[in-house]
Order: sequence, then C-alpha cells, then structure tokens
Amino acid sequence: MKSRWLEWFKKKGWKPFPFQLEAWDAFRAGESGLVHAPTGLGKTYAVWGGPVLEWLEQNPDQTKWTKKTEPLRVLWLTPLRALANDTAESLRAPLVDLGLPWSVELRTGDTSTAARQKQRRRFPTALVTTPESLSLLLTHADTREKLGALSCVIVDEWHELVGTKRGVQAELCLARLRQWLPGLRVWGLSATLGNLDEALNVLLGAARKTKTSRLISAHVNKKFELKTLLPRSMERFPWSGHVGLGLLPEVVQRIEKSRTTLLFVNTRSQVEIWYQALQAARPDWGADIALHHGSVDRKQREAVEERLRAGTVKCVVCTGSLDLGVDFSPVEQVIQVGAPKGVARMLQRAGRSGHQPGAVSRIYCVPAHALELVEFAAVRDAIARGEMEAREPVERPLDLLVQHLVTLALGGGFHEEQARAEIRSTHAFRDLSDEEWSWVIDFVTRGGKSLKAYPQFRRVRQDGDFFTVDQADIARFHRMSIGTITSDAMMSVRMMRGSYLGSIEESFIARLKPGDGFSFAGFQLEFVRVHDMTAMVRKSKKTARRVPQWMGGKMPLSTQLARAVRVKLAEAKRGVFDSPEMKAAEPVLKIQSAWSLIPEPDELLIEWTETRDGFLYFIYPFAGRLAHEGLAVLTAHRIGKISPRSFALTMNDYGFALMTPEPLDFDEKAWREVLSPTMLVEDILDCLNSTELARRKFREIARIAGLVFQGYPGSAKSTRQVQASSGLFYDMFARYEPDNRLLDQARREVIERQLEVRRLQDSLTQVQNMKLTLRQTERLTPLSFPLWAMWVQGQVSTEKWADRVRRMSEQLEAEALRT
Amino acid sequence: MRADDVTLEWGGALLTLLPERAVWWAAEKTLLIADPHFGKAAAFRFAGIPVPETSHDDDLERLSHLLMMTDAQRLVILGDFLHAKTGRNEGMFAALAKWRERHAATEMVLVEGNHDRHAGALPEDLRIPCVSGPWRLGPFHCRHEPQEDPDAPVLAGHLHPSFRLSERMGTSLRAPCFHFSARVGVLPAFGSFTGTHGIRPSQNDRVFLVGPASVIEVSRPKQ
Repeated sequence: MKSRWLEWFKKKGWKPFPFQLEAWDAFRAGESGLVHAPTGLGKTYAVWGGPVLEWLEQNPDQTKWTKKTEPLRVLWLTPLRALANDTAESLRAPLVDLGLPWSVELRTGDTSTAARQKQRRRFPTALVTTPESLSLLLTHADTREKLGALSCVIVDEWHELVGTKRGVQAELCLARLRQWLPGLRVWGLSATLGNLDEALNVLLGAARKTKTSRLISAHVNKKFELKTLLPRSMERFPWSGHVGLGLLPEVVQRIEKSRTTLLFVNTRSQVEIWYQALQAARPDWGADIALHHGSVDRKQREAVEERLRAGTVKCVVCTGSLDLGVDFSPVEQVIQVGAPKGVARMLQRAGRSGHQPGAVSRIYCVPAHALELVEFAAVRDAIARGEMEAREPVERPLDLLVQHLVTLALGGGFHEEQARAEIRSTHAFRDLSDEEWSWVIDFVTRGGKSLKAYPQFRRVRQDGDFFTVDQADIARFHRMSIGTITSDAMMSVRMMRGSYLGSIEESFIARLKPGDGFSFAGFQLEFVRVHDMTAMVRKSKKTARRVPQWMGGKMPLSTQLARAVRVKLAEAKRGVFDSPEMKAAEPVLKIQSAWSLIPEPDELLIEWTETRDGFLYFIYPFAGRLAHEGLAVLTAHRIGKISPRSFALTMNDYGFALMTPEPLDFDEKAWREVLSPTMLVEDILDCLNSTELARRKFREIARIAGLVFQGYPGSAKSTRQVQASSGLFYDMFARYEPDNRLLDQARREVIERQLEVRRLQDSLTQVQNMKLTLRQTERLTPLSFPLWAMWVQGQVSTEKWADRVRRMSEQLEAEALRT
Repeated sequence: MRADDVTLEWGGALLTLLPERAVWWAAEKTLLIADPHFGKAAAFRFAGIPVPETSHDDDLERLSHLLMMTDAQRLVILGDFLHAKTGRNEGMFAALAKWRERHAATEMVLVEGNHDRHAGALPEDLRIPCVSGPWRLGPFHCRHEPQEDPDAPVLAGHLHPSFRLSERMGTSLRAPCFHFSARVGVLPAFGSFTGTHGIRPSQNDRVFLVGPASVIEVSRPKQ
C-alpha cells in the first residue's frame, strides 16, 4: 500500500528522501520520535506519511471507503496560528489527490465559536491546533471519549516551543493524552538545534524510557551564502543605532533586482519604520510593499501571506513572525536588517529563500552599526564551523501547573495520585517535589496554605481525593485566561468606524494624548480615545515619528556567536581583516584601538569617562544582553552596599554601563571584588528584593496562574472589581505570604532565564582568570557609545528613600534655577 | 504630632499630611482618609483568585494606631470604604465591629464612593453613617470624586494618586502622593491592596510623596 502514497509523490515529481522513508517505517512500527531537517526539505510529509500509509494499509480496498470522514486520528500542534492555514493546506493536498475519506480542519484562537462547537460534535480526521487550543479542549469533560481513535500527535516547529512555557503547556497536554491512550505516538519536527536529543526527551517525557523512539536526521546539506550590503562610499559607519536606514538606497536596489524579497528586521517597531521608509523612498511601489508582524490583525497578515505564496508582492517587511514553517516558494531573496543574534536563526532565515532542491540559500545582511559588521562576519564563521545554539527547556513552572490543574479539574475532574504521576511523567515536572505539589493543590483549592484556609475561596472543589470545578463563572474565567501566555498587557487598536487593526502594548497607549499621531500596521494614525480596553484611532494625513514599542523580541547574542565575535575582534587586533565586513569595520576598530583598546578574548576591558550627566563606567564581558543585565544589577548593588548611591544602567550584547552622579574610586582590585563569582546567587537574591526585576517577571506568572484577569473588550465592566495589577499582587504576597511559591518561581525565572545566571556565573569565573584593563577615555569610544546612547534600562539605588527623594528634588530645583 | 510631619496651610486650615496616608486636621481633631477598599481581597477570592487577607487586618491596625496617636474625635472617610458586594463577609464585618468598639467614642462618617454604591450599605451597628458628597466639613466640601466646587475647597479621594520623580541620569522613583491644587486636595488611597494612578500636576499644584516613614514635598521646575 506504500505504492499509492509513493505514486502520489512521483506524480508530484518528488523522490522520497531516505529520512522520509525512515520516518514512515518508524511510525508504522509504533515508534515516536523527532525529525530534524532544514526548512523546505519535506519534513511535513516525513511525518504525515506515517498515519496516511498506516490507514491505507488498514483499508486496502478502495471500494469500501465510506463517504463519511474518518474520526479524529491525528492532532497536529503548531506554535503559530499563522501557520495553521498553510499546514492544513499541505496536509490536505495528498488526501484530495488520493481520494481519502479524511478531513482536515483548524482549531485555533481564530476559529469561530460556531465552528468549534461543530467540531466538538464531530472532530475532523486531522485537527491542526495550537498548545493553547489543545489545553482549552481538555477543559471539556467529553473530550476524552471523542479522542478515542487518536493514534498520534505531531508537534511542528518543536524547536520554537522547546525553550518556552508554551512548550511546557504542550508537554502537559501530551501527558494527559498519553494517560488516556497508552499507545499514542508522538512525533516532533524541528529545525537544527544544538540539543536535539534533549529536545526529544522534552517531547516524550517519561515515555522516552519506556517506548521505542528515534531521532531522524535529514543529513542534507543546504548551500548557504551570507553577503553584507555595504555603502558604496566607505564613509564613517554609525557607531550605534538599530534601524540601519543608512543603507536604504542599497536595500532598495536589491529589492528592485529581485521578484520577491523578505526583509527581516528584529523588532515590530522596526517593521513599521522600514515600511514607512520604503514607502517614502519608492512611492511608485505602493501596495507592492507589505508588512507583517505578530501584532497586526490576522486578516491583514493572512492577506500578505497569500500574496507571498502567489508571488504578487515585491517585498514584505517582517519580524520573526515569518520565521516559521510556511513554504513561500516564490521568495527569491532574504534580507536581514540588524544584528543576527544567533547562528541557527540566520540559517533559518536564509532558508526562506532558495527552496528548490539544490538551490543556494542566500541572505543579504544590512548592518545597522559598525559592530554588527563584525557580527555578520562572525556568524559566517560559526556556520562554517557548524556551531549551533541549544534551547534550554523550562523547568517546573508552577504557574502553568496551577493553570493545568484547574484545566484537569474542569475537564472531568482528577484523582490526586493519578494526576501527580501524570504530571511527573513530563520532562518539565519530572523533579516536582511533594511539597511543591501540595502547595499547588492548596493554592487551587483553598487559595493558599491550608493553615490560612479562606472560607470564601472558590476555584477547585475537593471531595476526598477527587478534584472538580463546579462553578460556571470560574469555568468561564479559566477558559478565557488559557492562552494568554504570550500576550502582554495588550490593547486592541480599532478605527473609529470599527475595523480592527491589531494590538499594541497598553503602556504605549497610556502615554498618548488624544490627537497624538503614530504609525502602526502601515497606517498613519491619530489616537482618539480609549474605550472598553480598546484604543480608538482614525487615519491621519500627518506623518508621525512615533512608533509603538513592543516588549520582548529582544533576543540576546547567543554564547556561540559572542565567542565568534571575540575571535573576530582578536584577529582585528592582530591586523587581520579577512572579509568585506571586517574591512568595512576596520576604520572604526582602529579608532577603538587608538582611543582605548580592543580587548583580547582573555581580557576584560573597563572604560570610564566623565560627562555632564555624571560618571560613566563601561564593562565589556561579551556575555549577551541578558547576562549583562544581571551583571549590571549585581555590580551596582555590590558597589552600593559599600557606599549608598543610585545608578542608571544600560546594557547591550557586548557589555554594560553604570552611570552615577559621583565618581567611583576603584582600582583593579576593587573591580575584581565586585565582579567576583563568590556569593553570586546570594547577592542576586538580595538585589532581587531591592529592584523591580522579580516584580516585573511576576506579570507573566500572575497571568498564567490566573491571578490577573485581563478580560477582553466588552467584558471589562463585569470584571473590573477583581482586577489588580500583577505588581500589586507581588507586593501583597511579598509582604503577607513571603513563602508563596509563585514568588519563588518569579525569582527563579529571573535568575535562571532572564539573567541567564549560568552564563553570568561562567563569565564571572572567566573574569577571574582574565587580564583586567582599566582605561579612562577622553570621549566615548566605538564600544561605549552605543551603551551611552540608549535609554536607561534599569536602576539600582541603595540610598534611603527620603534621602533619595530629597536629592532628586533638589536636583530638579537646581535645574529650574539654571534655566 | 511628630517632629518631621508635613503641615500645609490650605483652604483656610492647617492640615498635617501623614505617611500613614491620612490627613490630620488638628484644630478640629479630625482625621481624614480615602479609599480603604475593605473586602477587596475577599472579592478576589470569591472569583477564585487567592489574595492574603491579612492586608485588611493591617490596614485596620494602622487606622487604630492613627486614631489613638491623634486622639481624633472624628474620622471622615472620603469614599470606597467597601470594595464590592462579593467582598462582604462575616469575618470582615466581625473585625470591623471589633475595631469600631475600640474607638466607640469617635464620630465616624463615610462620604459615599462609587464602590460603596455597588457594595451595599454598612451594618447599622458599625455606626458609620453614609452621606453623599459634597458634605460640608468646616470650610471644606468632602467628596469622593475630585470635582471643583465654586463655594468651597474640596477634599477628595477616588484617584489613588501617585507621582513619578525622574532625574537626569534617567532613573526614576514612583510613590503614592497627596495632590493639592488651588481648589481640590486629593488623598492617596488608604488601603494597602489598592493600585495607584499616575498624576500629571499642573504648574502651581503641590505634590507630596508618601514614603515608608515620611512625607516629602516635591519641588518641581517652574516653567
């Protein structure tokens, strides 16, 4: 029966790759596994073939195929709603050609209520859905019975989920399904990762040990080429900036030459900025230029994706929102604006072009400032050496466990022992302690430790060892709050006449006054007012400079790439400039040498200088932005303990800056002491209490654990009385319930994930063996300038509250007198 | 009062601004607070959201301490004494009754706030009559929502004001505050389980930040 499927392949003009054959056989042998291959090599059919072939084998006689479609056999999990449509299309193609009585449908946050209800009456043969929607499905008691014929779950783009809480949500759902269906096969699809074996462990959990599974690799080397666009005249490169518009003419020229271009930038605000710039540079292109990012309305995004597939758009300016999946074959060329951040990411983006077998994946890079030239050169070297980043799996997020237990209680209820075993079968919760388990159970049933039982608390009801939810409003709140993992406090943006444009962070809207202009989703808009959690806007003729900022999306330079950058810098120090990028960076690097120095890989450079605003200290460990955030806070805190003072902090991928009104009288020995790895965790915990870090992190945790109910347009009024900011929750817990495990989790997440404590520890340990060079500079250097030129990103103060208020107040007065 | 307490001459009276988030009008032996939001934690728990209760006990304790320290004869609550209907519970009313007992001789009055309207009346035996604003108190009008009156300076709550103080380096500090304009004085929210709302004071307004143990006036550059 393999023949029918193979015939279809042949008809398409394809020949199965060995990895596809291997995956089909493994599936039919009852195995689970992970398939990894670069984009565009037929990963989808490698896993889709299994269940289809199996069905064909079970139903060889075509005359007996019924009109009625088969019950649900395959669940296809995808990380992005935007991908679901395309996936469903690819899955349907062979079914239609082979005339199989199979149906494929979507179930995501975008699916209408009516369609969902219809699905729950009778599921399609294959359901394409997201982790959130699957979790939501598990809140219905009859789901178990309806999934009776399910034979496998396929998790697409697993590399995107594996290091995230959404990945854990998928793990928890899979554990539930395995509990119901012991023979369930689970297959993941992944792009290249540094830790594929671990990724498979996370996917399968305890089943990795008890069931046969395998890692299948495509072993196909795609040709890769990275070119950097350089200005024609080699005038001075900007020292900082993140937009890269200086190379607009060169970019326009490249777009001109190609039929379809994907222009990747690193943040959503840069999408808006580049889109406007291209429109201004080439008004004649008009609608041939489009934009795409995660906050733009789905309909607009889908329209753009459709045009990409049809090849009817010249250029799409986008973020990582187009990183994944979808095979846009007509894409001829990929341009990356700004820092590459990671090796795997560059490879993946390049892979969006040259989809034809044997074609070369080519990416054109646009450096926004001089040091990014070095990064591009470094990325090319790292790819040649095959250095790929790993994604660290998330460990024991109790906020998600709180959410999931309510889901289980709602979806038919659970027995404590059985549920605990099920939860512990996931990779994320394999080491969940009995104490943590009891705490979560108490939290959802009694609102806290049993000692402080609150009589009015109602969420999960306990009868002996059986747990259920019996309140309709709790059920409704819970269902609405699932799936808000990724969204920050977002506000919808809507035209006065009603059409929906997308969503923007609430904090941006809060700073707008009626009449203020901003650009969003490619429009020039004027803010009118906020109504029912929605920002009402109208189109404006004025060109506004203001562009919304979205949090997140600020990825740090990976360790792999940071190391490669240091190597490139060391070469430059020895006078080796061996690529066009390094040649272009040469003048700037020479200035760095002349005014200060280029640090060796085993040298820690500290520069300091005095400006009108105070004294500036720049430390360059090259450990990535996140680790630098931790180092900056830690260093400021340690210095502040010696003499109380306030610091403003900034950080980037190369280093961090401490700014303070009074000079530090620090020699090498003093610096070594504040940069010592001893007492690291203790000191970090200490600073967490005195800074906003943990409090900020608590936003996400509070949302997932269902403390903060965000509501949605229209619901705002009925829920207003139980709305409080996560910061307020944090303060209340910190004061009245300091042993609350969610606080503990916030601290842990800050330490492990936000500040990347392991990297921090590593870099401090390395510093001990490094040569430490202190340089006072007369002016800002190419390395320090970007740190000086950015917005302050953190602060640490060890001054007494009253002293600080008086000092700041006096400063304002003094300034007022001067002017 | 304490040596470093801030006293302000406003609306024809001398008002002391206390870091416990209250105003003390010594001449009339009157203490004013706004927005305690009792029962807020319980309302959250009713919705399945766990919040520690002890905050309200602490708030009552702080209020008792203030009443004893000042030896106040009158307590005026500028609205939102209760948070929500779903927050009404026996435990809280028992605690309130006990607290009321401790200060049996003190006259108390509640100027009705928007939350009070929805949360329902207070039990009779608490002896805290509820009046609607504007309610006359000496030269002042007491209101919940700050709104200028032509014939009297207004003391109000409702906004939960806070202010962000920034310095040149780019660092900043935010704290609850008292906000006095020429005709309206707004008190910070008394309840500890309450959020705050950032204010943008006008030219001649006076802003007093409330810290852990002190109240400090912020001087702002005059344009």
